Amino acid sequence: MAHLIVDGHLDLAFNAVQLNRDVTQPAQTVRAHDSMSIQRGFGSATVTLPELSRGGVGIIFATAMSRIYPTDRWTRTGMYSQSQCHGIARGHYGYYEALEQAGLATIIRDNKTLEATATAWRRRGEGNQTPRHGLVLTMESADPILGPDQVPLWHRLGLRMVSLSHYGKGHYAHGTGTEGGLLPPAGSLLKALSECHVIVDLTHTTDQGFWETLEAYDGAVAASHHNCRRLVPGQRQLTDEMIRAIGERDGVIGAAMDAWMLDPSWNRKKPAREQATQATLESVVDHIDHVCQVLGKPDHAAIGTDLDGGYGQEQSPRDLNTVANLDRMPELLAKRGYGQPDVDKILWGNWLRMVKDAMA
Amino acid sequence: VLIIDGHLDMAYNALFHRRDLTLPVYTIREREDEVHNASPGHPDALPERSGPEIESPGTCTVTLPEMRRGEVGIMVSTIMARVQAQGSNLHNAARTRLQARARAMGHLAYYQALERAGEIEFIKDTATLERMAGAWQVPSTETPVGLILSAESADPILSPDQVEFWHEAGLRSISLTHFGANTYGHGTGTEGGLYPPAYPLMDALAQTDIAIDLTHAADIAFWQIMDYWKGPVHASHCNCRALLRGQRHLSDDMIRAIVERDGVIGVVFAESMLNPAWDFEDLSSRRHNARRPMRAVLAHVRHICELAGNCNHVAFGTDLDGGFGRELSPTDYDTIADLQRFLGLMMEDGFTREETEAFANGNLRLFFGRIWGD
Repeated sequence: MAHLIVDGHLDLAFNAVQLNRDVTQPAQTVRAHDSMSIQRGFGSATVTLPELSRGGVGIIFATAMSRIYPTDRWTRTGMYSQSQCHGIARGHYGYYEALEQAGLATIIRDNKTLEATATAWRRRGEGNQTPRHGLVLTMESADPILGPDQVPLWHRLGLRMVSLSHYGKGHYAHGTGTEGGLLPPAGSLLKALSECHVIVDLTHTTDQGFWETLEAYDGAVAASHHNCRRLVPGQRQLTDEMIRAIGERDGVIGAAMDAWMLDPSWNRKKPAREQATQATLESVVDHIDHVCQVLGKPDHAAIGTDLDGGYGQEQSPRDLNTVANLDRMPELLAKRGYGQPDVDKILWGNWLRMVKDAMA
Repeated sequence: VLIIDGHLDMAYNALFHRRDLTLPVYTIREREDEVHNASPGHPDALPERSGPEIESPGTCTVTLPEMRRGEVGIMVSTIMARVQAQGSNLHNAARTRLQARARAMGHLAYYQALERAGEIEFIKDTATLERMAGAWQVPSTETPVGLILSAESADPILSPDQVEFWHEAGLRSISLTHFGANTYGHGTGTEGGLYPPAYPLMDALAQTDIAIDLTHAADIAFWQIMDYWKGPVHASHCNCRALLRGQRHLSDDMIRAIVERDGVIGVVFAESMLNPAWDFEDLSSRRHNARRPMRAVLAHVRHICELAGNCNHVAFGTDLDGGFGRELSPTDYDTIADLQRFLGLMMEDGFTREETEAFANGNLRLFFGRIWGD
């Protein structure tokens, strides 16, 4: 059986819609297509469907990404009103639907599809065609959800995991870079999410918001793209207590590959192309290993690369040219002493367990 | 007097230019000034690391409160997403049809969110159209603006079997092309006709009550559509080639052909389509500031009425949020509420009250009413 990787966090539709990248093409084609402003603003593309195929990344948690964030003239997904956020996010789902209509991907809405997709990817190379990518639809910031009564609609569209906040203060909660916790509308939203068995993603919560969410939410939780504060300081990373809390709730933590979440010496105030990170894929394994050590088992560590989240190759592990290089992950984990069953859990099994439970 | 504007791009402004259209235009103008634009944005947005290059849409003149103030109570507003080869002046085109479909779904969802908020109401049938027109006889500050959904470029429709979805969603008018050569044929700025996929698309459209908008058809495509398509046609936002040159405007033959098919032509309030010094297809003839007042639109209204022999085939199709702002709108125009003043200009110019009201709302009501039936 071939290895399979489940990536717990990618923003494919944001790249397609806001950056006008054709993510069905090889990365080198996208790099050649990119205008100077896209190249300078978002780096050299590393994530496209053909690259994901080459890396064995068969199942992708794919976001709708929009939030209340009036000053976001950079990604242009930050908005002034929830109606606009709703439009942007439905546009992102509209892209995933279009990929499905074009026969390039499958939106995973039930366990039958999930298992068929996972099996097809593990059996690839046995004379079969490259299978279609499976997309688990997620949402980064819940601002596009116009009210608790709209949760069933989003669930029907495919939503299986959502973070209440992203950067800044949203409608439902304070997010990364701010101080504060959940806001009043979060209560009824969480109740509706729980009824639909949507996983709540704790990435991009504030510290206060993290603990308040754990207390307020009775459903499944995860941290889709999140590293360890013990290795890299800062609010954006998880403390060991947080890791333990997620483990206790049988959650999963996806290791992120953004240089500033891997490399404490990275300077966020300097353009990526003017610095070089020391981080490598080994650094990613450090974070995975830390989660496993803190929890004493490999059942909660996973991958959530975020490799197309507004940066490119310049801000990725230095031995990564495109996401295809994730094909080295099995070997790197084995070198660290993980046996095959553990590697399987980390690269795909843990995420699949969570999604399967959510769709049971 | 109720005004129906036959062409606006509201969702495009909200999602691409990030405008919250439920606010006064003055708020949006303030937000888009240099001081606000220089304020710290996203934590990862360094000065050296700005976002996509977006052409400024100019000073905002169209938002829902201004429409209510000017009794622009019903609008035909677009899903606007086209594919076009990348190059200059194409900051808002998508690279592939899948991406265009994504944008279109976003536009639709924005209108749906506005409807949920009580700001607008979709108009999909004659009963709703007439009820909304009635509501605007005695408007309040809360009266929702009626929306007749249109699409500028059919690129987001990936195959004819998707027409039904869009019709269900409320789509009632579509132009097959937009700028450049797109999926279904040649549009503004190019010479050529329809591509083969246009015909099965038209066959699917013929099963619905969606009208074809000829506005952005290249000349050859225009006549090919008129030959093949037996359903309703209109030109949502076009001026007259007799008064200024260029393929973007309707020739007299085209106007007569649309009138013969009982179509309606919406006149555009853009300097680029009012000032003969401006060649729509020659970027070097572009200006930064308008020189023509609203009166300049009168000549186009007059010309269409003369060719038609009556005033039953002309309406507003202002395009006043179509990628330009106050700078390139008529010189005596500030916000869309000023369209009421245009009706006064018509009467001063000798149009009767009946003719003026037909222009303001009657012609488009009858046009869509004829198509939709009771």
